[in-house]
Amino acid sequence: MLGSWPSIDPHNFSQFKPNDPSNSKRMTPVTYRPTHDRTVPPPDQVIGPEAKNILVRHFYQHAEEKLRTKRASSENPSPERASKVPSFCL
Amino acid sequence: MFRSNNVAARIFERQISSPAPGTSVHCARRFYENIVPSHTIFDMECPDILFRKFSDDGQYLITFSRNHQDLIVYRPTWLSFSCREQDCHDHELPSKANKFESFFTQLYTVTLASSGELICKDFFLYTEKNQFGIFATSTAQIHDAPAVGGAIQGIPSIEKITFHLVRLEDGVILDERVFCNDYINLAHSMGVFLYDDLMAIVSLRYQRIHILQIRDSGNLVDVRSIGEYCREDDELFLNSSAQASEKRDLFMAQKKLEAVDNRDRYTSDCSFNGCECTSNPDRNRTHNIENGLDHNQHTPEAPFLGGLKQRLLSFIFRGIWNEEDDPTVRMQCLKKKFYFHFQDYADLVIWKVQFLDRHHLLIKFGSVDGGVARNTDNHPAFFAVYNMETTEIISFYQNSADELYTLFELFCDHFHSSSKNSFYMNFLSTHSNNIHALEQLRCNKNKASSLPQFVKKMLATLPINCQSQSPSPYFDHSLFRYDEKLISSTDRHRQSTDHPIKFISRRQPNILKFKIKPGPESGSADTRTKKISSFLFHPILPLAISVQQTLFLQPAVVNIHFRR
Repeated sequence: MLGSWPSIDPHNFSQFKPNDPSNSKRMTPVTYRPTHDRTVPPPDQVIGPEAKNILVRHFYQHAEEKLRTKRASSENPSPERASKVPSFCL
Repeated sequence: MFRSNNVAARIFERQISSPAPGTSVHCARRFYENIVPSHTIFDMECPDILFRKFSDDGQYLITFSRNHQDLIVYRPTWLSFSCREQDCHDHELPSKANKFESFFTQLYTVTLASSGELICKDFFLYTEKNQFGIFATSTAQIHDAPAVGGAIQGIPSIEKITFHLVRLEDGVILDERVFCNDYINLAHSMGVFLYDDLMAIVSLRYQRIHILQIRDSGNLVDVRSIGEYCREDDELFLNSSAQASEKRDLFMAQKKLEAVDNRDRYTSDCSFNGCECTSNPDRNRTHNIENGLDHNQHTPEAPFLGGLKQRLLSFIFRGIWNEEDDPTVRMQCLKKKFYFHFQDYADLVIWKVQFLDRHHLLIKFGSVDGGVARNTDNHPAFFAVYNMETTEIISFYQNSADELYTLFELFCDHFHSSSKNSFYMNFLSTHSNNIHALEQLRCNKNKASSLPQFVKKMLATLPINCQSQSPSPYFDHSLFRYDEKLISSTDRHRQSTDHPIKFISRRQPNILKFKIKPGPESGSADTRTKKISSFLFHPILPLAISVQQTLFLQPAVVNIHFRR
């Protein structure tokens, strides 16, 4: 076993059989309950794969950034007017 | 990584140690440093055929007959012979090694093109999952075709283009799709993009992107057609409201007619004498009205802009609208950036399309002249990312946009959008996954005289041609160094030199691993004629074919390079 790392549930590792038969003691792990809830996931969290590949994700991100910078610049009294839309030049 | 360069030592090492996670293919590829196509048979006797390429899984060699009518498919085998003497490997190869048939077995010949049609010799797409091949035949091009039926002016017309879906296992033609009086760029599969089982065909003449699906049963099924309409039911909706407005117009006209008749009945004497008198004028007037309506339908009214064009224009408009809050400044910006160029934006045509994933398309827009031109450097071009499901334009870039170039530099692999079904195509060596290729790119960038020109030149390769890169490990930049101008994984004809093309090992600098020499062994006698070469590398075996042609219809010189 990996040293004496704690576990949230004392019944974990109860079926663990060590490879080394000489050490036949089965240790129950030290129990630890977190004292804060900073690492608890939100109750409605669903983790799933991202359908869009990274390139398409970047396209969406750029579009959102343009929108965000425009909104941010509208709050600013004197923003810089960088042209975000391509101009048609022949 | 292997500690020794010796192949036997590497095999032993492979037996006892496993590669780092995720690098098993790259580790296996390193054996290609030991097994190289070092032997060349010059000017071998081969049938008079046009070579297209090996299929991406290496199972088939696709060729066409010289008359562009038949498809001939070969299976790559390997030269085998027996020798009873001692020291066999020092002997010369037997004379049968000179024959094409020793390396390839003909599987079948299928006639694809009927009379008047020719197979497009540069067009071939392959679905690895079902081993289906897609070929194209077309009739002759008509250059000054009139723009009728929704076609745009300036694009030539081809009377009949047929796409054939062939099961390569046995040569059975499973399905066909015909486009009449249309123009699709068939050279190097530019107008068609295959992603998994989805095919995007760009009709330049009617400005539509046809999305087809290849079913496992071998049927080509229409999914949608983007251009004039974006959603599947747009046409139905517009037609029903057009019909409704026509009916309304007809009803109003009849009402007017009745009102006129009622007036006539009071004023005309003839009307009381019998219905014949009154009915004739009625009938005439009704006919006139109907003819009048018909006449109105034939004259071209100002049509709506197509659905995709409307999405594009509104995206550009909203982008400029959102930039400013002050209404006056906003109006000025709109006038300067949008309305001033409105006609230019409205005249943009779709040039080329590729899939980024199953829902997103990268569409290249440009002017009408550039749609069929070979060199599009001087024509302005734009890129748009379009979501087929939500029918929204996500982004819009000019072809000199630094943002787009940055994405191209970082994520080139994703533009190649190889599907999960295609194993070998996932390991193409590009500047996004290979440090040597990236160094080469950066070197070219620094040498370029002007950065915007360089960006334009690099972005001109987008959207990429489908299946245009060879998956052969000999083009892997981490294994070999070679002159990209003379040979590369892109299947394009190149100018041929008399000097052999060297492949030098990366890991052992300055050690030449093998040479590919196109053309006759002694070099060509006539050095003045321009010669072009094309190379077909087998994706897996150490086997390559080089075909050197002159431009004067002389027979091509075919060399075969393999590991002896």
